Parts: sequence; structure tokens; C-alpha cells
Amino acid sequence: MGILDSAPVPRRTMVLFFIVDTSGSMTGSKIGAVNQAIREVLPMLDEISANNADAEIKIALLEFSSGCRWIYDEPKTASEFRWQDREASGLTDLGEACIELGRKLSRDTFMKTDTGAFAPVLILLTDGEPTDDFPGGLKKLKENRWYKAAIKIAIAIGNDANEELIKEFTGNMEAVVEVHNIEALKKLIRTVSVTASQIGSQSSTVGNKDKQGQVVEQLKKDVEETEGAYSAAKPAPDPNDDWD
Amino acid sequence: MAELEPGLKIDLTNGEKLKILKEIGRGGQGIVYLSEYQGHNYALKWYTQKYSDDFYNNLKENIQHGAPSKAFLWPLMLTTKQNGSFGYAMELRKKDFFEFGDYLLAKVKFQSISAMIEAALQICDGFYHLHLRGFSYQDINDGNFFINPHTGDVLICDNDNVTAQGQNTGILGKARYMASEIIAGQKPDKYSDYFSLAVILFMLFYGNHPFEGKKVVSCPCMTEENERKHFGSEAIFILDKNDRTNLPVRGVHHNVIRRWPLFTKVLQDAFIEAFSQDLIKNPTQRMMESKWEKIIRQVRNQLVVCSSCENETFAGSDFVSTCINCGRPVEVKYRLHTNDHGILALTPKKIVLLGKIKEPVAVVRVSKKNAEILAMQNLAQAKWIVETPDGKLKDINPTEFLPLEKGLKIYFTQHEKGEII
Repeated sequence: MGILDSAPVPRRTMVLFFIVDTSGSMTGSKIGAVNQAIREVLPMLDEISANNADAEIKIALLEFSSGCRWIYDEPKTASEFRWQDREASGLTDLGEACIELGRKLSRDTFMKTDTGAFAPVLILLTDGEPTDDFPGGLKKLKENRWYKAAIKIAIAIGNDANEELIKEFTGNMEAVVEVHNIEALKKLIRTVSVTASQIGSQSSTVGNKDKQGQVVEQLKKDVEETEGAYSAAKPAPDPNDDWD
Repeated sequence: MAELEPGLKIDLTNGEKLKILKEIGRGGQGIVYLSEYQGHNYALKWYTQKYSDDFYNNLKENIQHGAPSKAFLWPLMLTTKQNGSFGYAMELRKKDFFEFGDYLLAKVKFQSISAMIEAALQICDGFYHLHLRGFSYQDINDGNFFINPHTGDVLICDNDNVTAQGQNTGILGKARYMASEIIAGQKPDKYSDYFSLAVILFMLFYGNHPFEGKKVVSCPCMTEENERKHFGSEAIFILDKNDRTNLPVRGVHHNVIRRWPLFTKVLQDAFIEAFSQDLIKNPTQRMMESKWEKIIRQVRNQLVVCSSCENETFAGSDFVSTCINCGRPVEVKYRLHTNDHGILALTPKKIVLLGKIKEPVAVVRVSKKNAEILAMQNLAQAKWIVETPDGKLKDINPTEFLPLEKGLKIYFTQHEKGEII
């Protein structure tokens, strides 16, 4: 190996967690849009990761309905990640998902790296009311330091999502966006994943807003430009859902 | 803020129009479009984030001032405010130039140590001219440079945040590259640029970050608060002489572990000084570009070609050095002691470069008739005058050879002279 042959610089890992509602109410166009949007965003995340000397982006996906399941047993890079369409059925056990997320937000499991990590990004997608002990699950999750440091965004799908409860997950209403049609859902999954990953996987800027604040600021702009998307801080005046 | 469609014509402040051709890149601040103006192609950076009037006016002033040197992809034309935003046009990045990040990610590598040295010198020279104009760059980081891996030529981009010394348009850059006082909330200036410059130079030569050692990789979650600590208030150089708590980690920091002992001591000493706690904490004491250039030219003086393996290596101040590639001895029979640029090792194939002059002055060759005899060929445009030890003068015209002999004095130009020792 010549003196000019280098190893790539060691990068931190930034794990993007999708926490996806696959309960019965997501059936049809909602889960269809989620399937399509996440599949489409993977190559974009791969590109951001490939050109980033600060961090490598990995992806983990936790789906919850009656109980919850990780799609893979460890976070995968976007290029490794193979998307398999999710189907929707069952209850909305978001409380259990919180407990499971907290279990994996640990250096012993999903956050295990040789070179350290940046704070993760947590994106929650849900359309309904939790059917289990969500406050209890969330309370436990809130004790987790990775969760505390994470960039947290939620997409509330349709009129039935309980934004007051979802706000408890993100910490504030500004980080919750409600979407009322398929196109808005697909677009927001894409833009939120890209923006949060870009900001989350870079060395921070100083003096400006923190990372969560920067993501929320961009989110506001995306919402303004998207028909059928509203910030939960300024909800739709007359929500008119457009789902099949 | 609207993105721009191909074919759209954008008004420039000079009253002319620029035509959008296609998107060629995007980042956190905005989108870069290939565009056309009066039959030539330009890159148009179009902001998608909101920026203040001060930022716009500063950009306008920078365009009026013009580029500090040829190394800058400087803003050339400003658009009026339209479609909810604005942008500026600059020259397109030339072919064969790659982002510095591509080198860090090992997608591209320098083709020679001389190209690496040339890149370091050009980065210093660019910032030297920028600071000479009274500007500061503010947010030097790994995204600001395009480098040609064959020649070491550098293009410095993202010059929209450059402001007059002491001012700031609100752009503060990335914590990994920032001086500790900026991380603590002060405004960037040329002294913080000096700090970031040293970080970039270290990464260019050694391929790892100067503050990312054991202490930093063992930080499990690099939160914003932790970044402020590890790159700001508690930053420790990975090769600090007095503090061994943040040493490079075997198996993680491969490049610096391998290269640190091989590249010359001159360079080691410079970085140990630049990243000493004293200079980290005392901005006005930091090493300026001119000092860096002097040090890097000393490194260049010691760069020779190994006669055993034909690879580049360094011949230090000892009479016999060892090749960094094959481990065989590199014998230096002659040296050139220059008036202004230190001492150069004169070994076969050594290309003699003096100071800021980019073209080689000479190359050392072995005599075809007698392998024991070394000669220096004049590669300059003008003749040299040579004074022998007994005081006789003779001309060495371009392309002619001068057999090396101790005691010869060479007048390369009016200002550049040297003696063979």
C-alpha cells in the first residue's frame, strides 16, 4: 500500500429511525404511499451518506400495529437496505413501540459503533389513536439519553391522528406535521427524511439554531409549499381528507 | 422559495439576463444550476434558504472587489431578487477537480506527494491573498475546496460568506473545523480562519482529523453539546506532546498513524505547534499562511525520488535518510543552500522549485557517461550565472547542464541565488 493510498476517514454513524404505524386504519392508499415514499427516499439517503465525510447514515425501521417489529435486526446503510412493502392490519400499539425503541437506543444494540455516533433522527408516522398504554411507554422512552438528544419529527396522517398525543413524542407541536392527502404524505416523508438526515449527519453549526430547530425551520417551508400539509401548531382550518 | 425551471431567464443586476439550463447540484443553502450568459456557461448558485439584505449587499460588494487570486471560484454576477430569492453566477468547476471530501472518503487520491504539497501551498496562498484584502472566509470546512489530484491545483469555492475582517453575515460553519472561540460564540475573523486552515492542512497531509483521537471516538453520542466540548473548550491535538489522552486509535485512524512518522519532522513540529493548547487558546498567536507556506516549502525541499524504488520520499537533514516506501537508504551528495528558501536535497530526478515560482528552475540528472556525476539542468527561461569556487563566472543557458560540485554559487535570477554544499 503506497503512502498516498488512504483509508476513508473514520465517520460517525447517524441512524435514521422510521417508526411506522401499520395498524388496520393505514390500509390502502396510506400504507401504499408510505411504501412508495420510503422506497424512493433510500437512494437519496445513500447519496447524502456517500458524499458526507462527517458521518455515515444508517436506517432502522420499527413498525407497530398489534405489537411491534423491527424490519431488520440492526441498522443498515441505505445501499444495503432492501425495502419490502408493508401491509397494514391490527391495533395501534405505539406505547409498546416506544418501549422497544428505547431498548434499541443503546450502545449495546443499535447504537453500537467503533467510531461513535451522532444523535439519531426519529421519524414517527401514524394515523390514529394509540390503543395501548402510550403515556406509560413514552415515559419510559423519555428516560433514554439517545431519545433526549435525537432530532424528532412526526407526520400525523389524516384527521384521526391525535396530535396532542403525538406532540408528546416530538416534544413540541412545531415538529408535528399533519398531511391530508397521498401526495402530501409522500412528499413529506421524502423531504423530512432528507432534511433531517442531512442536518443530523453533519457536524453542527454553532450560534445558529440547534439541529432540531434547523429541521423544524425547513419543515415549515416544506409544509408551506405542500398542498394538504399543515404544521400541527397551525392545523388545517377545515381538514378535508382525501384517502381511499 | 421556488426552484428554477430549465429555460427560465433570470435578471442580473447588470441589466442582462442569464438562462437556466439544468440543475447540477444542491446543498443545505441552495441549488446550483448550469446556466448560460452571452454564449458562455456559468454555475448559478440559487439560495433556497432565506438570507438577509446584509448578506445580499455583501455579495454585491464582493463581486465589485473581484477575486483575491485565481484560486477562487469567486462570485462574478449577481441576480436581482426574484422568484422569492436570489443567486450569483461563477465560473464552472474545471474538469479533473474533485471535492476535498472525496479525498477524505478515499474516493480520490493524490497522484504524487508533490501534488499534495502543491495543493497545500495553493490553499495557503489563496487565503493569504484573501486576508491581504482585509477579508475573512468565516466558515472554512471540507466542502470548500476542489483539488486536481495530478497537479495539486486548487479551487476555493463557496465564497459567498466572505466578509470584511470583523464583520459577519451570520454564517458560522461546521464545529469540526471551527476555532474554539467561535464555538464559544465569538464572531469569526482571520484568526479563526488560521485555525480552520491548520485543520484542513492536517487533514490534507494526514487524512484524519487533528482532534479526533481516543477521547473523541469514545464519545458514544456526538451531540451538539459534546461537539462544542471536543472541538472547542476541551479540544486536544491527537499528537499533543504533553497530553496523551486523545491519541490516534489503531484500527480507526489508519492514515495518520501511518503517515505521521514518515512525513518530515518539519511538518510534525509545525502541527504540534499549531495545535498546542497555547495556540488553540490564543488566536492572535496562530500561524499565518506565510509561515505555513515557508514550512511546506521546506517539506518540498526535502522531497526527492528514491533511486532504488523510484518513489517519492524525503531526504532529511541527516546525511543518509531512509526511503519511506522501500526502506533503502537515500544518499544525498549535494545540497543547494538558497538565500531565501532553505536547503534543498539534490538527488537524481529532483525537481528544483524555488519560492512561489510555480515553474521548476532545474532538474537534477545523472551523467550518461559517468553515473557518479550529477548535473543540474536549467529548466528556466533565462540563463543562470555560475561562480566557481575560484571566482570564475560562466553562463548556464536554458536546457544546459551544470555538473554539481561543492562550492559552486548559482545566480538563478536577480533575487534567487544558491550555493552547492
